Amino acid sequence: MIPGLRSTARQDWMIGVLLLVAAAAIPFIFPTRYVIGQMTLLFIWATVVTQWNLVFGVAGVFSLAQMAIFAVGGYVTGMLALYLEWPLWVGMFFGGGAAVIFSLLIGLACLRLRGAYVALLTLAIAQVMYLLIITDTACFMKQGVTCLNFTGGTRGLARFGDFGFRELLPYKYVPLGNYFLGLVVLAVATAFSIFIIRSPLGLAFQAMRDNPELATARGVSRFKYQMVVFAASAFFTGLAGAVYAGHFRVMGANTLYLSLLLYLLSMMVIGGVGRAWGPILGATVLMVVDEGLKELIDWRLAGLGIILVVFVVLLPGGLAGALDGLRERLGRRSPDSG
Amino acid sequence: MDTAIQIVVSGLTLGAMYAVGTIALSLVWGALQMLNMAQGALLAVGGYAAYTAVATLGMPLWLGLPAAIAVGGLVGALMYALVVRHMLGRPGFETNVIIATVGIALILENLVLRLYGAYPLLQPIGLEGGFQVGATYVPWQNLMILVVSVVLMLVIGNFLSRTRAGRAIRATAQHQRGAMLMGVPVGRVYVQVLMIGGALAAVSGIMLSTITTLAPTMGYDPMLKAFIICVIAGLGNIYGALTAAFVLGLFEAAVQYFFGVRFGFPALLVLVIVALIWRPYGVFGRHKQARL
Repeated sequence: MIPGLRSTARQDWMIGVLLLVAAAAIPFIFPTRYVIGQMTLLFIWATVVTQWNLVFGVAGVFSLAQMAIFAVGGYVTGMLALYLEWPLWVGMFFGGGAAVIFSLLIGLACLRLRGAYVALLTLAIAQVMYLLIITDTACFMKQGVTCLNFTGGTRGLARFGDFGFRELLPYKYVPLGNYFLGLVVLAVATAFSIFIIRSPLGLAFQAMRDNPELATARGVSRFKYQMVVFAASAFFTGLAGAVYAGHFRVMGANTLYLSLLLYLLSMMVIGGVGRAWGPILGATVLMVVDEGLKELIDWRLAGLGIILVVFVVLLPGGLAGALDGLRERLGRRSPDSG
Repeated sequence: MDTAIQIVVSGLTLGAMYAVGTIALSLVWGALQMLNMAQGALLAVGGYAAYTAVATLGMPLWLGLPAAIAVGGLVGALMYALVVRHMLGRPGFETNVIIATVGIALILENLVLRLYGAYPLLQPIGLEGGFQVGATYVPWQNLMILVVSVVLMLVIGNFLSRTRAGRAIRATAQHQRGAMLMGVPVGRVYVQVLMIGGALAAVSGIMLSTITTLAPTMGYDPMLKAFIICVIAGLGNIYGALTAAFVLGLFEAAVQYFFGVRFGFPALLVLVIVALIWRPYGVFGRHKQARL
């Protein structure tokens, strides 16, 4: 049994289909714009976190450049639409591709280093990207009397349009377009992550975690395998960035805020680092809790901090780990119920 | 010539500021294999503690420094007692402690924000005036930062190599279990190192806020830069970190002068990445052989 994945392939299929059906039903049970909008955002963040979980939890690369990769996907998609007038439906795949190239460059620079060094360098890369965007004041294109910066600067990249659901769908169902697009991306990204965890690649990482010397002696190359996972996961992360850009019709440097990165990190830690269903569980729980604690907005950062500390110290396996532990204890008491 | 003097002056100031920050990071990493992401928040805590002591409580100026040191040390001790102690020896300590200290940083930042507000404040501690070198004006403040950073380095270096407590810290850094078997109280070493780290961060917080302003997030960028300086020197190497701090400070000042301020940090990062591809464990770092 693979640690961190206490479910069989059949159970994964069942969980996946159940979640998908539930998610597809929600906009018809709660047909308000607010719920649909928040759910769309949940799908986008959950996609990012599943891929981050693959990089950090499974491949053991503590990269903090996850949102930088996300931003590359969103910005490239937006720029292709704004400057070359490509439709977002085409641009989003190029956004994903650009994210892959970006992650390969980061990987080449960072992945030969040990854990803490990777965390620092990737965080520095994200911060440099943020600083370069918000200090971008050079004139790239004139639009009437206003001057557009190449990256959009502090105001963000805007006016590149959206996925065009306004024209495709009847008025009542317009928000559902982005909702189901987000859901499809999340479903594919989740299927991909579970496929990786169960593939020989996932087993190789398990071997490297359990006995690094033996695994290396048997010809498992950490660098090569980590690069593969890092680059492949970047595609879906970039795609999520493109969906974000199309959903909000703007892409800004606020996606690179440290607080957002840590919000997503908290989702992963709450759900359970390295667990197949941890990211979706964590993202859902954190967004619901966040929703319930709207009045405490002044203490939101401290709340995130407390969550991070408490989970890392008391529940390092996250909620998924706790559920597994609970199931095991129940199973031991009544062996027939299995 | 004037250009050169100007670059050297601002480069040395930057370098000194980074150096104060890197000492604390290096010490904590070297002794505990622990990346303290709360360092940036501790800078802010130190700066605001000095502000409170002097501007709010009306203490004399020279008491601001010890007040900040006390608060920084206290926060370091609390970090150990409430969080780090419970994680020691667990699998994945190296990455988990990064996450936990990020959490601590968020809590501290939020506290500072609630107590003092987001509006930048002026640090009352500091020296006025300056002197002239050629056509360049050098504020006393910048000279003080330089002196403080060098003195701190000498004090910490002597403490580590000469005193009993320092030897215990180095023994723990070299081989934790071995140190424990020789009767070194490893728990106490951890508290000491985190308290010293907190105190040093408080001092650099004051230094930093005298030439910028006090703001809840003021420590984040300096912390990141101090971190990548530690990385290029090899994490845990204090003298290497100092050399790197000054070299990179001069480099950054030169880039800022010739290409514009916004390219200082990116150029620094590119330089660090190139250096790390050349030497993955840092320019002064040594590769530890794995024991099978």
